[in-house]
Amino acid sequence: MKNSIKVERAKNNMTQAKLAELVKVSRQTINAIELGKYNLSTILALKIAHVFNQSIHVIFELEESDWES
Amino acid sequence: MKTNYLFSNRYKKVGWFLFIPGLILGIVFLICESDISFFNFKVFSIAEQAIFSDANFFSISENNVLDEISSILMITGALLIAFSKEKYEDEFISKIRLESLVWATYINYAILLLAIIFVHDMTFLWVLVFNMFTLLIFFLIRFNLALTKSKNQISDEE
Repeated sequence: MKNSIKVERAKNNMTQAKLAELVKVSRQTINAIELGKYNLSTILALKIAHVFNQSIHVIFELEESDWES
Repeated sequence: MKTNYLFSNRYKKVGWFLFIPGLILGIVFLICESDISFFNFKVFSIAEQAIFSDANFFSISENNVLDEISSILMITGALLIAFSKEKYEDEFISKIRLESLVWATYINYAILLLAIIFVHDMTFLWVLVFNMFTLLIFFLIRFNLALTKSKNQISDEE
């Protein structure tokens, strides 16, 4: 799954720490998601989309490899 | 996300306060074994059997309690350190926690299996003694290394 959190953060001039605080997770978690090292839960994805005032599909996008198990 | 079965973060410190003295007493026990008579007490035992004697059940007997104290302190301490929440215990930390627990269990039993095959007689008793603590210790090492690694990745990004 691809995500554009980093881009959205840049647009909103928001640090990882600030985003982490807003969605109530650790900075490590935001960092791991941005690096594509962690597939987040639906709730957290919805929260992040809410913070950026965007649809979840704008920020998170399935990749071909996600269909392979 | 709610994380179940974990202690509050403040118990982590309590864990260290139990574990460190337990570890020191454990080392003292390894060096002196049962030579320190200060720790001799009459204790209730559900079952006990000295070498070359009959088994006693539900009896009172004299026992050196240094190893009991050390084991209890180390196990409760390590449990509290291992299973107290991190400052920010979120879903990613829970994932690292689960992975570390699985990894530690594999390593622990891999070593035990090797010991079953290659260590025999009374020496194997020592393997069992250490094995009481190793699962938790392997977990603590793996979990904290993984946490540190993920923290370091943040500083690399900046």
